[in-house]
Parts: sequence; structure tokens; C-alpha cells
Amino acid sequence: MTTEQYAIPGLKNVLYIDLTSRSYYIKDRRDLYEKYLGGVGVATNLMLEEYIEGTGPLDPEMPIILSTGPLSGVYPTCTKTVALFRSPHNGELGESYAGGRLAMSMRYSGYETIVIKGASQYPVYVAIHDDKVIFRDASSIWHLSSAIDVGKVLRDVEPGAGRRSIIRIGPAGEKGITYASVNVDTYRHFGRLGLGTVFGAKKLKALLIVGNQEIKSPDHNAYRKTYSKLYDTIVKTGLTEKYHNLGTSENILVLNELKGLPTRNLQGTSFEGAETISGELFAEKYLIRRVSCAGCPIGCVHVAMLRRPFSKAHEYETLNISYDYELIYALGSNLGVADPEAVLELIDACEKAGVDIISMGGVLAWATEMQQRGKISTVETMGLQFSWGDKAAYLRAIDLVVQGPNDFYAALGKGVGYASKKYGGEEFAVQLGGLEIPGYHTGLGNMLGLTVGFRHSHLDNAGYAADQAAFNRPLSDEKIVEAIIEEEDRRSVLNCMVACLFARNVYTYPNIIEALKSLGIEKTEEELKELGRDIFRKKYELKKKFGFKFEELTMPKRFFETTSTTGKLEEDRVKRAIELYRKKRGV
Amino acid sequence: MLYKKKTHTSLKEELEWEIMAKRLKVANPARCIGCYSCMMACARTWYDTISLKNSRINIQTRGGIETPYAAIVCHACIDPPCMRACPLGALTKRKGGGVNLNKEICDGCGNCIEACIVGAIHLDAEKKAVICKHCGVCTKFCPHDVLEMIEVEDSGEIKVTDTSPVEDTSPVSSTASHKELYGRKEPEEEK
Ligand code: SF4
Ligand code: SF4
Ligand code: SF4
Ligand code: SF4
Repeated sequence: MTTEQYAIPGLKNVLYIDLTSRSYYIKDRRDLYEKYLGGVGVATNLMLEEYIEGTGPLDPEMPIILSTGPLSGVYPTCTKTVALFRSPHNGELGESYAGGRLAMSMRYSGYETIVIKGASQYPVYVAIHDDKVIFRDASSIWHLSSAIDVGKVLRDVEPGAGRRSIIRIGPAGEKGITYASVNVDTYRHFGRLGLGTVFGAKKLKALLIVGNQEIKSPDHNAYRKTYSKLYDTIVKTGLTEKYHNLGTSENILVLNELKGLPTRNLQGTSFEGAETISGELFAEKYLIRRVSCAGCPIGCVHVAMLRRPFSKAHEYETLNISYDYELIYALGSNLGVADPEAVLELIDACEKAGVDIISMGGVLAWATEMQQRGKISTVETMGLQFSWGDKAAYLRAIDLVVQGPNDFYAALGKGVGYASKKYGGEEFAVQLGGLEIPGYHTGLGNMLGLTVGFRHSHLDNAGYAADQAAFNRPLSDEKIVEAIIEEEDRRSVLNCMVACLFARNVYTYPNIIEALKSLGIEKTEEELKELGRDIFRKKYELKKKFGFKFEELTMPKRFFETTSTTGKLEEDRVKRAIELYRKKRGV
Repeated sequence: MLYKKKTHTSLKEELEWEIMAKRLKVANPARCIGCYSCMMACARTWYDTISLKNSRINIQTRGGIETPYAAIVCHACIDPPCMRACPLGALTKRKGGGVNLNKEICDGCGNCIEACIVGAIHLDAEKKAVICKHCGVCTKFCPHDVLEMIEVEDSGEIKVTDTSPVEDTSPVSSTASHKELYGRKEPEEEK
């Protein structure tokens, strides 16, 4: 049976949206897809094309690029969309990945990549219904107190119920908090580095996409076969079991045991309350359902139910909150919060505000230590007395950071790097490359990985995994550097697809080659590896243009005071490893 | 549950299963994770393109992912209203409930869509009705025990096949069944 003549070949279009003039056009960019496949490869090259020297992160001319890849909407777990922008948080390359339904909607709408430029004079949202792109006034949903509610409103006004993707910002993005996130379909996010802030500056409240086209593969039988093979590998081999069962929060007890779980602003690496905020406990007591990104059989999104009383007369409200390892670290161990319900409430407050939870956790942890050391007082905090584990103070603080009623909270809204320059405490402002760190203090690999990584993320190169290897058997620093380089290039290729990194061991080079072949794309392993290296060079070119300099990197003392999984780190050793990395990479 | 799930204990049983009247059943809708694996499977099996829209089963949310997923698919009516509504006779009774569609005859009038209050029918790009065949392919791609093929009478009536005593079915551990599905076997334990 066939409806072939109605199908699109795929990987052809880039949709350009100009918010200033509220107009759009579509360009045939097969040239880009042929060379760089899609995802981060295409987005990096588009950013190099679009970036006008000297443009600031929040200037209208600065583009947002969203891109999917050849396997998006086609093969299981290829569910991510990459966003490229210039980060208002650290001024550097902004790169973030989100799942949900976005990739599938973009792919089936025939716009595999979207470039958003300009800025509207008043709040707008953009609705894409296959070939129609509509701009609508969003003033009535600007100022909504919750990013979640934005979805509720748009679901009612826009047609296409059932499988739309709705990405939107909350108050933090409107207010210019530099680490505002973009909420994707309620439970997923473009979390890090402030894409939400860029949306806010463009007065773009939301983007809704409905795609309902068919894609044509040149060899449908090969496609069917490869799909079944990949599906079986994901579901039946145990490669992704961890993400399905307890989810990433399984790592709380693991990292606690390994002394790699940042605790109380990285004053420690194990937390006496780890048991009560463990993935095991959340699963047993609060987990009510798992959901998946569209096109992924793993079901890694863990949703907890919190029943919260709001009066003494047995009145309750029920909150559904998705949780993950990083969130539990950021608002749990790193704030000394051992009460799981408090962790859930803090997550919920950040979700509504639309902020990156890792950065918010880092900011609150730093502020707590500042106050405990007497470097700030209740004057700056507007009466709040921060103490580890005090949920009520932290809940209030999240609101205050988002609203920014005084200089101190306004500074907290720009991250620990900025705030510590103003108020002191740089030695324990736990950031690398201007970004509050994810939940690992495992040793050299992690610290090096976060420092040299494109976006200072553990997902750039999994430095913690190199430490894990070094923990189990002796590994020279050079080998750690090499592991990081290899992983970076491999991940760049995965990010062209754009595959979920939880399935990274399913999408091996041979499997990627087979999957591409069934779509009529011929690539060799060597060509893919070269693509990875090419992306590295181009991203560093971009980073340089955005002002990144190795010489300006600072490494707060805290990293060298607190023992990591693989022992205490010395600054010199990290510096030598960075030099080695630069030499090997030629940057 | 009064019907037996598909089992593969012997070749004889397997062959018997093959010739029995069967139908698709959304057995455990609350377990759906919204992965769309079933839709992808249906669409790629019965069409030569990659899409969700040609799937005969439709996984939907009504209020975003915060709300439960609904699986909308043919209920295998014993006396199908869609068939009665078709002015051209393109739909005929299927053994085991539901209908068989003769695509050649269907002209896309949409009367069946109106008659099916379940909402299980839509038209494809060539204006032909898209109706579940109860082939069972989607059940093989559901990772979360939502979809099943069940044995029914030729008429489509539910067959009571399982009259064995009710045994203690509490799982060894709360995640045992998933561990097995996702590959990692639980160590054997005494119950
Ligand atoms: S398509 Fe609808 S009306 Fe027809 S048999 Fe199925 S459920 Fe009944
Ligand atoms: S759409 Fe086709 S099957 Fe449905 S009633 Fe019309 S002719 Fe019959
Ligand atoms: S039983 Fe067959 S025709 Fe029906 S929804 Fe499943 S795969 Fe499609
Ligand atoms: S395959 Fe199963 S879990 Fe996935 S969407 Fe379909 S019914 Fe739901």
C-alpha cells in the first residue's frame, strides 16, 4: 500500500522566521544536509553563516537555531532537537538539547531546521501547522506565573490536538534571568545556558508545531528491517535498562558511595541524606508513571506525585513532577535537603518559573555559604536566613531571584560567576566556564571535561566516565585526555542524528551507517569521524568569535579543597591536562 | 481476566493460535508511555512511507503529557455500524469482529468515520479509509504491556478461555517484569 506521491523526501528545508517583521521564508538547503547530515552539524554551520561579528546574546540579530537530524521521527530514540544560540549566561556558545515531541513534530512538518531571528515589539507566539506559519499576539499569556500553564492555554486555542509540540518560557525568561530555560512539552527542557532568556528578549513566548506529513525512504524494506533491529537492541538487550527502571536518579546512591555527589555547595561529596532522596526511594514512594519522548520506547521520564495539604481540614492538592538525577543533586544534596517532598516542591517551583535547575541550585548553594560566612546579611537577602535543608527559605528565594527586587537578587539572576565578582566568595562560586556545574565531582576527567567542553557540560564528553574508568584501574592523565577527545567526536556525530545520548551505545558507528543507508545516505565510518572532528573545529571557531579564551578560565579553589571520587585534585595537574588537550586538539 | 494472552508453549498451541479468531485489545491503557512505537509499526507495515498519520491506532493526549494517554483504535464491533454506513459495500464483516475494507471500492465518502463514534477511522492521503485490520503487529512493538491480541469467537464475542484457578501473581519484585523485558534478569528467588 502506498501514498508515496504525498510523501516528502526529508532533509531539505530550513525555515527562517523573522520576528521583527513577523514574516518567514523557506530555503532549500540540501547543500547543508548533504555535508553535515543535520542536528548540530547543520546548526553549527548555520550559526557561522548567520552570526554578525559583535552581536550580543540578546540582540535581535542574534539567531536561535533549532535542528533535527536524518533519523529524527524515523528511528527509535532519535528524539532530540538541538538549539544553538549565544548564551546570555556566559556569553559563549549556547547549545542545548531537548526531547519531548519537538523533533518528531519538526520532522513531520518538513522543517528539519528552524532559524529564528529578530525581535517582536510585543509578546508573540508562533504556530506552525505543516506549511502554515502563524504569528499571534501573546500579551495575554505574558506574565503568567507558570511555564506549565502556557501549554494549557495554547492547547485550547490552537488546532491539531493530540501530538503537538509546545515549547514555551516562564517568568524567568521574561525577566531576563540569564539561566532561564525553555519548557518543552511539560516534562522536557532546553535547560542550560539560557535559551529561555533569548526567547524572552525576542518577546517570543512560545512556539507550537504540528507536523503531519509522510516521509519517503528509498528502500522501505531495509527501513523496516533496521527499525526492528534497533528497536530490539533498545528494548531487549539491557543497554537502556537503567534509564527505564529507576532512571538517572539511580546515580544518587552510586555517586554518594563513590564520593562524587556534590553536597552543600561542594563542601563535600557525600550526603548523609542520600538514602531519602535516592532514585530507589522516589520510585517506591512517589513514582506514578513513566512517559517517553515521541518515538522512544525507553520511557525514561519519571513522574512523581506529590500530595500536599493546604489546610488543616484535610484539603489536598496534587502535583505531578518529573525528576531526574541532576535535579535531585541541585536542589537536594547540594542544598542539604534530605526531605524528598521538599526536593519535589523545589523542582516544581523552578519548573513553573522556567529556570535551569542546576544553575538555580548552584546559585542558592553559593548564597547559603555566603551568608553563613557572614559575607552577606539579611539586608541583602531581604530577611531570609538561608540554612542547609531549609525548604521554605529556598522556595521564597526562587521567587525572589526570578523577580529580582534588589541588587543582590538581580545578581543571583545572573549566576554565581557574576554574583561572586560583585559580592566576593569567588573561591567557592562553583562554576566552570561561567556555568554552575552538574552533579559530579569525580576527578580530573570531569573537571577537564567541563572546562574544555563546548558548552561546559558533562554531556559534551562524559569526563566523569573517564574518572570511573580511572577509579577501577590506573589510567594516565594522557589517556583521560584521549578518552575525552574521542568521546567528544563520537557525541558530535550522535548529535547530528540527533539521537538521545541514553541510547548512545545502541547507535554505534555501524548502526548509524546502516540506519542512514536505509534512507539513501551513504557514509563510511571514517567520514562520520571526520564529520565529528569538523564539528569540533567549527564550534571552537564559533567559541572564539564569541570571546572564549582558555587564558581567562578560572578554577575556583573549592574544586581542589574537596576530595573527589579519585582523590584530591591539584590545580597544576588540571592545568597540565588542559595544556595537553589543547596541544592534541590544536586549539 | 477471562481470556488468555498469547503464549508460545508448543508448536501445536502456536498453530491453533494462528487459526483462532483474534482481535486487538487495548488491555492496559494506563500503562502507556506515549512512545508511539505502535503507531510507527502500524504505519510502516501497511504503508510504504514513514509517518504517524497512516497508523490505524492513534495514541493521543487530551491535555498534554500531564494527562493520561488514550489509545484510540477499532473496538472490533460484533455488528459494525461503520459497515452499515458504507454506501458502497466497501466494508464487510471480519471474522473475530470489526471489518475488512476493500480499498478498491472505497471512495472516501467518510460515512464510516461518522458512524464510528470511537473515532477509529480516518482517511489517508489517497482518500481511502484507514481502519484497523487486527493484525497484531503493533502489539509486538509495545514495550509497556498496553496492547494485546486476544482470542475471540468468530462472531467477535469474547471467549471465556481462562478458567484455571487464580494463582498468586504478586511479582517477586516491583520491577521484575520490566527487568525481564528490558533484558536484565532478576535473580531467582523463592516466593
Ligand atoms: S471501525 Fe469503529 S464502528 Fe467500525 S468496527 Fe471498528 S470500532 Fe466499530
Ligand atoms: S469512506 Fe470508504 S469505507 Fe468509509 S463509508 Fe465511505 S466508501 Fe465506505
Ligand atoms: S492491529 Fe494491525 S492494523 Fe490494527 S493498529 Fe495494530 S498494527 Fe495497525
Ligand atoms: S507502543 Fe504501547 S506504550 Fe507505546 S504508545 Fe503504543 S500503546 Fe503506548
